[in-house]
Amino acid sequence: MQTRDKYSYYVEQTALDVTDRPRKFLEAFGSVLKHGNYGAVLDTYSRVSAKCARCAASCQLYETTQDPRDIPCRRSQLLLRVYHRYFTHAGVAKARLFGGFTLSDEYLDEMAEEYYRCTACRRCKATCPIGIDHGLVTHLARWLLAEIEVIPKALVVSVREQLEGVGNTSAIPVPALKDTCEFLEEELQDIYNVDIKYPFDVEGSEYVFFPAVSDFLLEADTLMGNAAVMHVTGGSWTIGTGNYDGINYGLFYSDRMLERIVNNVVAEVHRLKGRKVLVGECGHATRSAWFIPTFAGPDAPPVVNCLEYAYQMLEAGKLPLKDTRIEERVTYHDPCNIARTGRITEEPREILKAICKDYVEMTPNRTRNYCCGGGGGTVSIDEIRSFRTKLMGKRKADQIRATEAQIVVSPCANCKKQLREVCEDNELNDVEVVGLHDLLLKVIDFGVPEPKAEQSAGDSQSDEQPEAGELQSNVAK
Amino acid sequence: MVLGLIRHIVVTVSEMMKMVGRAGNKDVAYRQVFAATMKWLFPVGQLRQRFFFSITSLMFHVAIIVVPIFLAGHIALWKSGTGLSWPAISNGLADVLTITAVATAVLLVVQRAAARDSRALSRFNDYALPLLIAVPFVAGFLVMHPTWNPFSYELTLLVHIMSANVLLILIPLTKLSHMVLLPATQLVSELGWHFPPDAGRKVAVDLGKEGQPI
Repeated sequence: MQTRDKYSYYVEQTALDVTDRPRKFLEAFGSVLKHGNYGAVLDTYSRVSAKCARCAASCQLYETTQDPRDIPCRRSQLLLRVYHRYFTHAGVAKARLFGGFTLSDEYLDEMAEEYYRCTACRRCKATCPIGIDHGLVTHLARWLLAEIEVIPKALVVSVREQLEGVGNTSAIPVPALKDTCEFLEEELQDIYNVDIKYPFDVEGSEYVFFPAVSDFLLEADTLMGNAAVMHVTGGSWTIGTGNYDGINYGLFYSDRMLERIVNNVVAEVHRLKGRKVLVGECGHATRSAWFIPTFAGPDAPPVVNCLEYAYQMLEAGKLPLKDTRIEERVTYHDPCNIARTGRITEEPREILKAICKDYVEMTPNRTRNYCCGGGGGTVSIDEIRSFRTKLMGKRKADQIRATEAQIVVSPCANCKKQLREVCEDNELNDVEVVGLHDLLLKVIDFGVPEPKAEQSAGDSQSDEQPEAGELQSNVAK
Repeated sequence: MVLGLIRHIVVTVSEMMKMVGRAGNKDVAYRQVFAATMKWLFPVGQLRQRFFFSITSLMFHVAIIVVPIFLAGHIALWKSGTGLSWPAISNGLADVLTITAVATAVLLVVQRAAARDSRALSRFNDYALPLLIAVPFVAGFLVMHPTWNPFSYELTLLVHIMSANVLLILIPLTKLSHMVLLPATQLVSELGWHFPPDAGRKVAVDLGKEGQPI
């Protein structure tokens, strides 16, 4: 059962069956404050928030809609108001004396709508003189809403599949996974005349690989690039058949789920006696994996993003490249989850500069980059596509258009899906959106002659590599 | 006021220590936090966005911080009361800064009301506080310049002192508390992302949801 009567996204029937929601919301709030670290944050925010509206000027949604409801500070105030009223002495006393604000069903519905109009990209945090992290407030508010069952259906279904179903968000069973990888191996053989294997369950590998599992359905080139890089650099890596999904939608709606999913990743690394977690091209999977030390303690396996790995190898001279370069104009989109704090911004750029003839930056970039418009899990919510591409993604489209690039590179499964839709819906028909390893694959020197006549790197790509649809049909449903 | 602010500092510091204590990952990006804190304590590089508003706000803050602390008359009071003393600014500069404080306070309110985004955010106290802050500055200016003062000297001095006292009381109770909390806010935000392990399961137990299907 599903319904879209109430919110702009589908929720499950259970969300509509919940009664006595304000009480349950406050119970959950109280419990989260007791066990979590949010109390001091909300306390500080509600004391010092100066309502200066500087954040409005940095929010790509507000810049497009000019609707006061989309001002980050106003959105955060929705939750801070509940906190102040019910969980501070001053607020409780004031309510006893003068009455006033009471948490109602309608108010919860407003929150449910507003907190999914924010992608938690955290761009506004850098412009807040106080340093209020509106992304953190959105993160918390969504968890509390989830405890009264308000969760976009797209997210909760995926998490259920991952934790209680097949074991990953795309419901790909192991035989289908192996089929797909065999197919990719054949492709690599046909196109590049090189014998590359996807290693499964190799115990004691240095790296256990966790891509966004949807890559196995949609991003063949990225995965072939990943395998190619590991192959030429002689990396010791494996895909664990117990858990091969880096996706973690818990990050988008519930710390409870976040922790369970992260722990499953760690468990798989331990099962395989692996040493490190290698995350594929996925922003939120990387950021979720960075939570491993939070939940698994100081003995947690270190986390390496595949961009960091590739860059390290390139720097060390272990990643041989052909003389050909990517001819088209290429630009780079920073995924918020890896770039907002400045953690991964330079590695992809160095790689791109090494392999592209015409690399240009979009402005603003790095920690100040605009979100693709599909962050915070909203990209998975198909029913809000026009909101994502026309309102949230408008700035992004303008930004891409200004670069006049033919190829937009983004090392993130979510960003790629969203950017393709942004381009489609904003008349950017000639722009191709790809992962970084897709391009890298074309210029890696495998040291063997290619089977076909010499072609420029760009041409051979479009002619010979499998289309996403082709690959999908190869995967058992 | 002093007690209120000390309480703020003590509570915030102890809360932050508790947060670090509970966090699963104690590896905090202190350098980044420090850089962000300094960036906003001395926000000279941040003026481009919302240029006029930012300039107004910066001038307002400089004026209301410098004048009360470095006015020769105030230092003389400190000296007679506690024996402490420090260099003063000239009265001429104090006059300029006082006029700046009053003018920017009014401008802040006007700008707040004029821009639709800040208007949408503003509560009553967001308009009232800058004006309230301007009162002791106006009265103080008249105290310093008796010849321009149409009111009695004693009355003006009383207004000056009492309005300043009201402000001092309000500081810990309102958003003005950012004057002591600002150095901590960036760190608080960062620590907010440092979750305690197992918190999710404990919440599930509290809510009777442990072991329930998703």
